[in-house]
Amino acid sequence: MKSLHGLYTLLFGVAVLLFFGLAYPHHLHYQEQYQLFLFEGSYVWDIVRLPGGVADLLGRFCTQFFLYAWVGALIVALLLMAVQLLMLRLVGGGWFYGLSFVPSFLLWLLLLDENALQGGVWAIVLTLLTACFIVKLTNGRMRYVLLIIAIPVLYWLAGPVCFPIPIDSLWLDAHYYRYPTVFPWLLWAASISVFVIVGVAHFIRRHKWHISHLSPLISCLSFLLVAVIMGSFVWKNANFKAEKVMQYDFMATHQQWNRILETVNAEKPNNQIGVTVQNLALAMHGMLLDHMFEYNQNGIAGLLPDVKEDATSPIPTAEAFYQLGMINVAQRTVFEAQEAILDFQKSGRCYKRLAQTNLINGQYEVARKYLSALQKTLFYRGWANETLPLLGDEEAIAKHPEYRRLRQCAYKEDLTGDFYFSDHVTPEMLESLYYTNTDNRLAYQYLLAYYMLTGDRERYNQFMSRKQ
Amino acid sequence: MRKKLYIIMGLMGLMGLMGCTETVSDARQEAGLPQIYPDYLGVTIPVNIAPLCFNMADEEALCIDAVITDSHGNSLHSQGEESVDFDIDDWHALLAQNQGDSLSVTVSAKYDDGWHTYQPFSIHVSPDSIDYGLCYRLIEPGYEVWSKMGIYERDLSTFEERALIENTQFEGCVNCHSFNRGNPADMSLHIRGPHGATLLRHDGGPFTAYNTKTDQTIGLCVYPYWHPSGRYVAYSTNTTRQLFHSTGRNRVEVFDEASDLQVYDVDKNELLLSPLLKRDTVFETYPVFSADGRSLYFCAARSSNQIDSIRYNLCRIDFDPATGSFGNRIDTLVHAAEQHKSVSFPRPSYDGRFLCYTLSDYGQFSIWHHEADLWLLDLTTGESRIMEEANSEDTESFHNWSTSSRWLVLSSRRDDGLYTRPYFCHVDAHGNVTKAFMLPQRNPRRFYRDRFYSFNVPDFVISPTRFDGRKASRIINDDTRKNFGVRKETASE
Repeated sequence: MKSLHGLYTLLFGVAVLLFFGLAYPHHLHYQEQYQLFLFEGSYVWDIVRLPGGVADLLGRFCTQFFLYAWVGALIVALLLMAVQLLMLRLVGGGWFYGLSFVPSFLLWLLLLDENALQGGVWAIVLTLLTACFIVKLTNGRMRYVLLIIAIPVLYWLAGPVCFPIPIDSLWLDAHYYRYPTVFPWLLWAASISVFVIVGVAHFIRRHKWHISHLSPLISCLSFLLVAVIMGSFVWKNANFKAEKVMQYDFMATHQQWNRILETVNAEKPNNQIGVTVQNLALAMHGMLLDHMFEYNQNGIAGLLPDVKEDATSPIPTAEAFYQLGMINVAQRTVFEAQEAILDFQKSGRCYKRLAQTNLINGQYEVARKYLSALQKTLFYRGWANETLPLLGDEEAIAKHPEYRRLRQCAYKEDLTGDFYFSDHVTPEMLESLYYTNTDNRLAYQYLLAYYMLTGDRERYNQFMSRKQ
Repeated sequence: MRKKLYIIMGLMGLMGLMGCTETVSDARQEAGLPQIYPDYLGVTIPVNIAPLCFNMADEEALCIDAVITDSHGNSLHSQGEESVDFDIDDWHALLAQNQGDSLSVTVSAKYDDGWHTYQPFSIHVSPDSIDYGLCYRLIEPGYEVWSKMGIYERDLSTFEERALIENTQFEGCVNCHSFNRGNPADMSLHIRGPHGATLLRHDGGPFTAYNTKTDQTIGLCVYPYWHPSGRYVAYSTNTTRQLFHSTGRNRVEVFDEASDLQVYDVDKNELLLSPLLKRDTVFETYPVFSADGRSLYFCAARSSNQIDSIRYNLCRIDFDPATGSFGNRIDTLVHAAEQHKSVSFPRPSYDGRFLCYTLSDYGQFSIWHHEADLWLLDLTTGESRIMEEANSEDTESFHNWSTSSRWLVLSSRRDDGLYTRPYFCHVDAHGNVTKAFMLPQRNPRRFYRDRFYSFNVPDFVISPTRFDGRKASRIINDDTRKNFGVRKETASE
């Protein structure tokens, strides 16, 4: 019986692993991109001192591994399996075997939302661990004494999940969800399901209502029932459109230009981020002007969209600005996107890009600040260590393929003058960029694409005749 | 074997706890002064300032050691791996014994090749004490979007900092904290965003949330300054926009498309207007009262669509505190526009002797101008001079006086060109200015490098503000607002 239970748990874990690894990997990348886990005392203290802080810290610690989607998928699978196994320990088998999967499935549903944070899952794990610990260690009156002692400690460790009363002020203070004003109903449901299922199981056991000889069959049936019903819920509620958008964002961030073209050739994007990334990849291959109309276009909004005040949509546009050599525009766009992260976290990729733009602009002390922070991370440390020696070393920067090219392409005060920009890119900005460095093929393509997408034949002809 | 291992581990643990504590021996005597961070060489400090802990400017040092001695034979020693961190009580005792005198600081640093001892430098201890604390906003030096921010208070005699209010407590941002000559009993604070309001506290009373926009003013009240009587607060109203530089050292340009001035009568809940302070062709901003409360200083520029040709002069208008009426003439004290320069942040000393202002190439938001410097106007002679001793190659912008008028806090971006830090300099009765020193921290390099915030509008407070952030956030989130009333005034008054 135990091995059968183990097999079901394993099946469940493999399903979670495959789902996040194959169908939902970019949701995991997204999570990683909107936090910066620092191995630093003050960072840890600022998190753990709050209710639910330990769960939050564990969640953030795990999220840094989501840079690698399969590692992230494995972590999520192990956590959801742990929740099920701990539930099983509390409710036993029989009728309740299938129900031991309910909190895990609810958490899986929760994690379909890119704004749900891992801290919520850890809060449930910590609550269950504490419950198992109390049940195993004590009995009778002592158990209640221990429970009374455990509640405040658990509240500090896990937050209001351990005390599932839907009071807004309690739940919104805990860092379970990226939007600080949104009540995490699914997490609350997972939390309440733990209490209800465990409570009912104990009540029934006390009254000896279960039929033990039917248990193996019922275990199997109840598992299948829960797995089919809740599994279909998970599949139906998965946001594969968002996953696709996140994929484009991820590919642009990692400059996977070939993969982007393969992806757009398989399925033409019809969202703003997808089209922006598609056009950037075409331009990086020098194919934008010849091939842009073979794909979906969205006017200027698909080339260099106006910068909006959110954390997500400006990032691919910022990548285009950066590659074009519009360093100050890229810097501003990335800075603002990072500031717009709703739970006030920082982002590894934003810090990295800000270090680069400041390095290109010669603002080495500001670049050093970002690099020093990245040195305190697990996965950005190597890059930061490699980049730090470049600061102030003009010779080394002049030899660096990326920074040399971008310095050559960037606006220069003596050539273009210092003009002002705002949220909207104008053809004059692209024209200035091109005349700063006429070898900037990206600027050339973007400028002509701009005229073509706006149907501005007159300026197109003017530019071409001037160029000739 | 196991016992030996435990002993070795114990010793290693003990050494770890002790950090770098060793005698400076066989030190190579260097001919030059030490390069330390922050640069505290030859500074003048108030007798009650927190210990001036420091690091070696380079990051190669394995250990740093400092001995401070005075002319009475007293000494203070500190040693550390990253920074020296003087005992706070011993530091204050030493400073108290050396008011008006100088201390000598001998720094030694250990590198791979051993100890190096540098020529001692001096720190002069001024008998003029500084106010209790500093109040500032911490915010990332960004563009238009803000992340976490708040208003904070720092005890200048210690390293204690506490948040008064943070934007985690409500949706929106908080800015323009202002006190009456550093006295937090009179306080004005703006909240922006969906729960926008101006919180006003008068004479230590409770906070009231106001809607400061009226049908006779162009917008919400912005830059505040208290009248010495506590009865009035001068405000500007500004229609502000931002644009961004495509290249060059300056990143952001914040400018006004319209701006006027008015004075709020706290007792009568009415705004006092003057047609001379709300002209369509002139941008008026940054109003401040004179020390006697009988003048209103402000910056004024001819309106223009060309951002880099908007240049502000320093102006003055009479103000009668008894009637709340304005004079009928505007005087120009500093004709900066004629020299293709622009004045911002005028701040008169409370003894009425000087007025410190920021001078930049154009505009009024000087924090984003690397060329911005502080100037000192002698109000008795009308002569201005650049405060070279306190300025740097980079931005100097907002500043204000301590209540004794002997200390000036100034915002500067000299540290890294972007993040604003508070500095202090001494200004004596004759206008002699000393080298500015950075706000002390226990481990300055670690502190300032790890903190991704600018110290925005650092201003003195004479005592703890006793600001109840939870109560304030309840008032903010409640959305009940008291409207500003308006009293009309004619130019002839």
